[in-house]
Amino acid sequence: MFGTRKTSRFRIAFKTAVVLACLALVLSACGDDEDSAAPEAGTETTAPATTVAPEEMGEEVLVMEHLGDGSLGTVEVEPGEAVQIRSLNAITGDVAFFGLPIERSVVLAIADYGQVHGFDVDMGTGLDDLCSNDGGQAAAQIIVADEDVVGVIGTSCSGAATAAAPLITDAGMVLISGGNTSPALTSDLAGTPGPNYSYGYYRTAHNDLFQGRVMAEFVFNELGITTAAAIHDGDPYTQGLAKAFTDAFAALGGDVTGFSAVNKEDTDMVPVLTEIAAGSPGALFFPIFQPAGDFIAEQAPGVSGLEGTVLLAADGLLNTSYLALSQTEGMYFSGPDTRFGQNVNASTGKSAQDFLAAYESEYGEGPAAPFWAHGYDATTMLLDAITAASYVSEDGSLMVDRQGVRQYLDNVRNYQGLIGVIGCDDFGDCGSGKITVVHHASSDDPEASMGNVVYSGGGN
Amino acid sequence: MANNWAPKTKVDWFLTVLRVLALGVVTVGLLAFIAQQISVDNPFARLINPDATGLTVAQFRGLVISGLSQGAMYGLIALGYSMVYGVLGFINFAHGEVFMVGAMTGMITSNKLDDAGLWESNFIGSLLFIVVVSMLVCTLTAVIMERVAYRPLRKAPRLIPLITSIGISFFIQNTSVVLLGPTSKAYPDMPDWLTAKRTFLEIEGTKILVICVAALAMLGLWLLVERTKTGKAMRAVAEDQEIAGLMGVNVNRTIVKVFAVGGAMAGVAGILWGVLFRSVIHYTGFLPGIKAFSSAVVGGIGNLGGSMAGGLFIGLAESTGPLLILEPLGVSGVSQLRDAVAFAMLIGVLLLKPSGLFGERLSAEDRA
Amino acid sequence: MNGNPLLDIRGLTVEFGGLRALDGVDIQVHEGQIVSVIGPNGAGKTTLFNAITASVEATGEILFEGRTLLGLDANQVTSRGVARTFQNVRLFANMTVLENVMVSQHCRTKQGTFGALFYTKAFRREEAEIRARAEEILGFFGTRLIGFRLDQPAAVLSYANRRRLEIARAMATQPKLLLLDEPVAGMNPVESAELTGLIGRLREEWGFTIVVIEHDMEVVREVSDRVIVLDHGTMIADGDYHEVSSDPRVIEAYLGQGATTK
Ligand SMILES: Nc1ncnc2c1ncn2[C@@H]1O[C@H](COP(=O)(O)OP(=O)(O)OP(=O)(O)O)[C@@H](O)[C@H]1O
Ligand SMILES: [Mg+2]
Repeated sequence: MFGTRKTSRFRIAFKTAVVLACLALVLSACGDDEDSAAPEAGTETTAPATTVAPEEMGEEVLVMEHLGDGSLGTVEVEPGEAVQIRSLNAITGDVAFFGLPIERSVVLAIADYGQVHGFDVDMGTGLDDLCSNDGGQAAAQIIVADEDVVGVIGTSCSGAATAAAPLITDAGMVLISGGNTSPALTSDLAGTPGPNYSYGYYRTAHNDLFQGRVMAEFVFNELGITTAAAIHDGDPYTQGLAKAFTDAFAALGGDVTGFSAVNKEDTDMVPVLTEIAAGSPGALFFPIFQPAGDFIAEQAPGVSGLEGTVLLAADGLLNTSYLALSQTEGMYFSGPDTRFGQNVNASTGKSAQDFLAAYESEYGEGPAAPFWAHGYDATTMLLDAITAASYVSEDGSLMVDRQGVRQYLDNVRNYQGLIGVIGCDDFGDCGSGKITVVHHASSDDPEASMGNVVYSGGGN
Repeated sequence: MANNWAPKTKVDWFLTVLRVLALGVVTVGLLAFIAQQISVDNPFARLINPDATGLTVAQFRGLVISGLSQGAMYGLIALGYSMVYGVLGFINFAHGEVFMVGAMTGMITSNKLDDAGLWESNFIGSLLFIVVVSMLVCTLTAVIMERVAYRPLRKAPRLIPLITSIGISFFIQNTSVVLLGPTSKAYPDMPDWLTAKRTFLEIEGTKILVICVAALAMLGLWLLVERTKTGKAMRAVAEDQEIAGLMGVNVNRTIVKVFAVGGAMAGVAGILWGVLFRSVIHYTGFLPGIKAFSSAVVGGIGNLGGSMAGGLFIGLAESTGPLLILEPLGVSGVSQLRDAVAFAMLIGVLLLKPSGLFGERLSAEDRA
Repeated sequence: MNGNPLLDIRGLTVEFGGLRALDGVDIQVHEGQIVSVIGPNGAGKTTLFNAITASVEATGEILFEGRTLLGLDANQVTSRGVARTFQNVRLFANMTVLENVMVSQHCRTKQGTFGALFYTKAFRREEAEIRARAEEILGFFGTRLIGFRLDQPAAVLSYANRRRLEIARAMATQPKLLLLDEPVAGMNPVESAELTGLIGRLREEWGFTIVVIEHDMEVVREVSDRVIVLDHGTMIADGDYHEVSSDPRVIEAYLGQGATTK
């Protein structure tokens, strides 16, 4: 979802160095503990809900039926050892609110899922993508150094995936994200792969193109506004989403009067707003983050030419602290449909309510961002894939065929997850793609506005 | 002067070409802007940027005022860079963080006042109060910084305190994260009568307030430096520490005062930041600090009036530059280039006048 | 002489690396005297001044009014009542004539930054006094440094005026002991003669005790009660002008250097 955070070079270099050092320490110190502490009170293995008939068998006759032709190699898990998967999400800094629920959803999903062919599953220590290209690259290098890892749940931020996906998929592993939404990582939804697509990458989060399209439909059809402009912050995520919106808006017959960008550190928005005001747009979409989003909402009314412009933003700003600003009143926010209702994950049998209850009791708070459901479904999908692509050999080891894992994921259709019905297209987009638009009625009651859905659309 | 510019060596030629280019870009951009203001269908404007839309007077005024208010703040911060450079000959990069400390102090104090209901009932009094508190805290911060970090390095080569200042900068930022957390914090709402646009030229009251307060602070500092014995001592120390000591000036105490005054100005600037943008985070001092440093250099580091003028120049440049120069040239997404414009202006000025707009007056002639 | 000396220097030694610029020098100066210090180039004359005003590290003892000056900061020495000028003029070039003289009264004034910030009555009165005294001191040099010159930066003054301003600045610190390092160097004979006269008046009218380094033997003869001769960091003669000028060691020191007395 978030892309590379283009903060000051100083801070990035500094943070990276510190985090790497800490990571190294934590990894070396905790490695052993984790291994011995990992086995959970063994609930009996829940049978995988979907079984995909193996389409092709390898040349050699295998001991048991499983997916895969061995072309990407096999991971051998010795008796008593655990199947290794990893979590790679933004878990520190000001984006932790977004990545931490995903990491925790991985932990809870592994616990709910139980064993794979009698083998425990181990997530190791949660890795940090730092929500940045550098962070994704550094963590991916740590992951691929361990040849026992089968798959990774992550990243939170699209920018991190840009660097991490090629490394991880080249190593034969799969990367399934619960948070990335950039079209560049998958495809344009019309058959052209994105520039950063790599085979072995999947995601349960929606493709931004859905979100841009739904927002454009809402503005053009529902609000009846025919001129619009967009502002991004240079980050691939915000830029992609802003572009998706203006493209869709133009395709509907609307007039795009401006497209500009700010820097994340900017505070004085008068110049960019003046630039936008020159085109007198009826609506202004800025799918960016705090604090830049605060400044736009606060300063827009003061810029001559924007007095009546409807302000629109995306889920990055849909939080109670933003909605509490009086100037955000009347804004519209697009975001993934979080009305999970009675959806039940087919692999674990747990509902969204079950999950939230478990989350509360485990962590003493509710998840701060909605992508926990996507992370949960991504994890159960991965575990299903491992189950389908593995067998227990004569000496009691579990043999996981890396190619089989991909083969399974490629063929996921109509899989029931917490987020709804999941199905993977040719470029790894598996999410339901359902988008809602929320109207912010009153800054006195931000909570109420969060759920005030006025439009919904998208979906496969 | 003009003679100096006559190119002699290859480097001179290179610099001359750069100068001509810089002036050329600015001139063509401005001409195109003027052309498109006269009429968007003007062939000259069309030629350079077919999509030109032009600005209304109100929009243009908005840009200028926003640039001026931002620039006034840069100028106040720049004073601290300039004074320390003038007196000790090194760049105190941690000065931007002193400004951040001021903004944070104001945030904490104003929220306390808001809780007590005073912020709304007596806004002017509250504002004065937070300005004073912020000035005190910043003064203290700057003075401690001098005592603990810079004084022991007084005799060391100038690169050493400079690098130390970068370290202090990180230290203060991280301390802020530890004490106040890594997320941005907001000032309470400004009263409506302040944020509303004044009938006078339709300028927001906040911006008028910021410009006025900055002007007052600057005037106060100028009086202090030019008219009082403390100020004379500062200038004497800036010119020649050894002689100043021999003439009975307590050099150490004077240097402390320089840091204190610079800190106080940063404290005022911190509050103005709060009034303008309302939101502070631990890295709030970083970019304004660098811009203020650029302002000091543009104005001629060591020169106090120059710092203020440099601040206004950088503020105006980054606010109006993208739309005045780049947009008419057909560059797209210009607003993201505001920092680039600010720093390009810095380089441009240094190309044309290496000692800055107002030269180097406060410090001794032997300083590079 | 009568009573304790104002300045009492004993065994003063200054070393630069291996070089002994001063080597165990003993000098006494009594209140009201004008003492000249002469010696060939590099003899250690300026170093003597530097040691007194805490500009260089020195060992031995320097007593001023019976109390040591060693280990003090330069501004503390000034507060105790010692002021000096420099061989190569070192004014605050960017400050005005008036400011140069005003800032040098710094250690004689009481009002602090607080008074300045709030512009108190006491502060204003003191500023007025400082200014009046500065103008009085500058007036000592005739009309050259007052009037429109008051507000000119020191840098634009003529060479002779800069030298005069340096003396004025030293006077402004209200010293008991005035150390003048080659005050007439580089001046023409007319200016030089005039300044020589002023040195005498400095004692008569302002009550300063004066130590003056001088190469010009005319000046030395005219102004000094006593002459001290330094050579290679040691004192080789001490007496009135006639005693010293006929001292064979002094003559040898100058001839040995191959130098004349200019
Ligand atoms: N700061 C210093 N570092 C090293 N050597 C020094 C320093 N100051 C003076 N000297 C040396 O000490 C010796 C005495 O110098 P000083 O300036 O006292 O001579 P002087 O008698 O004043 O000569 P002049 O008549 O040329 O002014 C010289 O050899 C000089 O080179
Ligand atoms: Mg000398």
